[in-house]
Amino acid sequence: MHGRLKVRTTAEQQEAKRKEREKKQKIYTAATQRTFQKRENKEYDEEALKITGEILSVNPDFYSLWNFRKEIFLHFKDVKPTEELNKLFEEELYFLESCLKVNPKSYGTWHHRCFVMTTMPIPDWTRELQLCNKFLEYDERNFHCWDYRRFVVKTSNVPAKDEFDFTTAKIASNFSNYSSWHYRSKLLPQLYPDSHHSSGVQEDILLQEFETVQNAFFTDPNDQSSWFYHRWLLGRGCRKLDIDSVYISRHKSCILVTFTKTLLISRENSINLVINGKDVEGEWLNQKQQAKYSTFWISFCNNFWCSS
Amino acid sequence: MGTPIKDVSIPDNAPKELLLSKHADYIGAYGSKKDDYEYVMTEYLRMNGIYWGLTAMDLMDELKRMNKEEVLVFVKQCQHESGGISCSVGHDPHLLCTLSAIQILTLYDAQDTIDCDKVIKWVQSLQQDDGSFYGDKWGEVDTRFSFCAVACLSLLGKLDSINVDKAVEFVVSCMNFDGGFGCRPGSESHSGQIYCCVGMLAITGQLHHINADLLGWWLCERQLPSGGLNGRPEKLPDVCYSWWVLASLKIINRLQWIDKNKLIEFILASQDEETGGFADRPGDMVDPFHTLFGLAGLSLLGNTSIKPVNPVYCMPEDTIRRVGIQLDLL
Repeated sequence: MHGRLKVRTTAEQQEAKRKEREKKQKIYTAATQRTFQKRENKEYDEEALKITGEILSVNPDFYSLWNFRKEIFLHFKDVKPTEELNKLFEEELYFLESCLKVNPKSYGTWHHRCFVMTTMPIPDWTRELQLCNKFLEYDERNFHCWDYRRFVVKTSNVPAKDEFDFTTAKIASNFSNYSSWHYRSKLLPQLYPDSHHSSGVQEDILLQEFETVQNAFFTDPNDQSSWFYHRWLLGRGCRKLDIDSVYISRHKSCILVTFTKTLLISRENSINLVINGKDVEGEWLNQKQQAKYSTFWISFCNNFWCSS
Repeated sequence: MGTPIKDVSIPDNAPKELLLSKHADYIGAYGSKKDDYEYVMTEYLRMNGIYWGLTAMDLMDELKRMNKEEVLVFVKQCQHESGGISCSVGHDPHLLCTLSAIQILTLYDAQDTIDCDKVIKWVQSLQQDDGSFYGDKWGEVDTRFSFCAVACLSLLGKLDSINVDKAVEFVVSCMNFDGGFGCRPGSESHSGQIYCCVGMLAITGQLHHINADLLGWWLCERQLPSGGLNGRPEKLPDVCYSWWVLASLKIINRLQWIDKNKLIEFILASQDEETGGFADRPGDMVDPFHTLFGLAGLSLLGNTSIKPVNPVYCMPEDTIRRVGIQLDLL
């Protein structure tokens, strides 16, 4: 239960509320039992759609009922002619839209929409992208809708450049739009790839982005979105594997190495240690004396100094 | 134009002490009103609800007050022919309920109540070629399910029954520019998903994939002036997000990056003095979900009147030790 304010009520109000809930509970339980019975009898018909629809419109997280509807539609696919079938699927999309308006954050509802779109005979993907535009206008941070959008984009081959322009428009209307900045970080390496740069994006494009993000935090320096993006652009998020420091103790006959990134030194992924022109072999362990990923590695080796 | 910071203010009269016995009474009585509309409406969450309630009680060392026999019979009734477990009788099996069921049986040291070999085979059958997991046979993919699968199998001591390398590869492919993780490759970072992915990598011993400083920065920025933590930038604070973020910070050894006292104040203020239980934020309605995560959060923050909680499994440490699981946290 999220965001439900506790309200103080009188005893009379409480009793009225209790009676109302008791009535609702009875209707709800009867409908649920009827649905389960129909499912057990494999009654894949319009009545089943009607009852499950009534329950799901008040309780969209009742996942088993979405599953029942999927079974019904798979059955329809076998028995109905294409035209009628497509009409039934169209109605399902309409029903889903009405559910999403009431609860735009139900995993089950969005997944059912994916099912419908990939199962129906003649899906209209352009309309789905428009639906996403509409829902992202209601709530520009709804990650379910952003994910559904990525599903639509992938399935119907929407060009990455179009999506990039969409995020630009979103950011122009509100800089503080973490979802859009995030999406740009995924689109840029697709549109302007450069494997030499740590972010995977061409330098000139990064500079343009730098300009955009600077405008954002000049306008609203307290907004976090632009600062996270800024750090990513600067490439500070990711370091290349390198030796950070080396310490050799003649007294303890050991060598300590720290690296810029975690790594695993093993037989398959070993280190060439050369001392005074001689290859030296030794076992490497991390700070916990284990052969597990770490930035810190130590090797004790008695034959280090034989030649000196 | 930007977005103003969303936060709540804590009223002066909000609770400042931990009301343990009230919480135990609240959870103890929760299942007694089975005809209640709210209770009936949440049947699709029943197995999760029992896990939240029992774990909360165990953390308060009050598990003995719950009806063990009734719970075990219920869990057994929910196992299907396929091996998967549903949230309630008559509902469909799903990984989300299956993990809760295994957690419940583990709390009670009663895994043999159900056919565990069938559970293992069912979980195995949900893994896809790219390493990801379906939540059930209908094909929804989500990193939450990757966590559920490995958590479930590791509690059963059968982690090796799936392709762990592939499973890890998929989770790592969901990593983002901010060091966090989302539902699927390309999805935005979200504290709940981060907890699942970090937990999954902890169970499989692959935490080195995480850029702990980068992710730690994003996670500690979830703290708002009220002390509470939110789930994503520019969102309201919430006791359950306090848990997802806090547990992730603990796993990557960056817990000291937030103001612990302010967070304790926020969690305590989310208690209901009359009914017991915790709400998502001060002044809202309580529920068992937020009650567990409130208690678990306070445990991680060092409250010694609650049992130590394991940050990966959200179960008491003594239970995790009993089943012989040892995790290498950062």
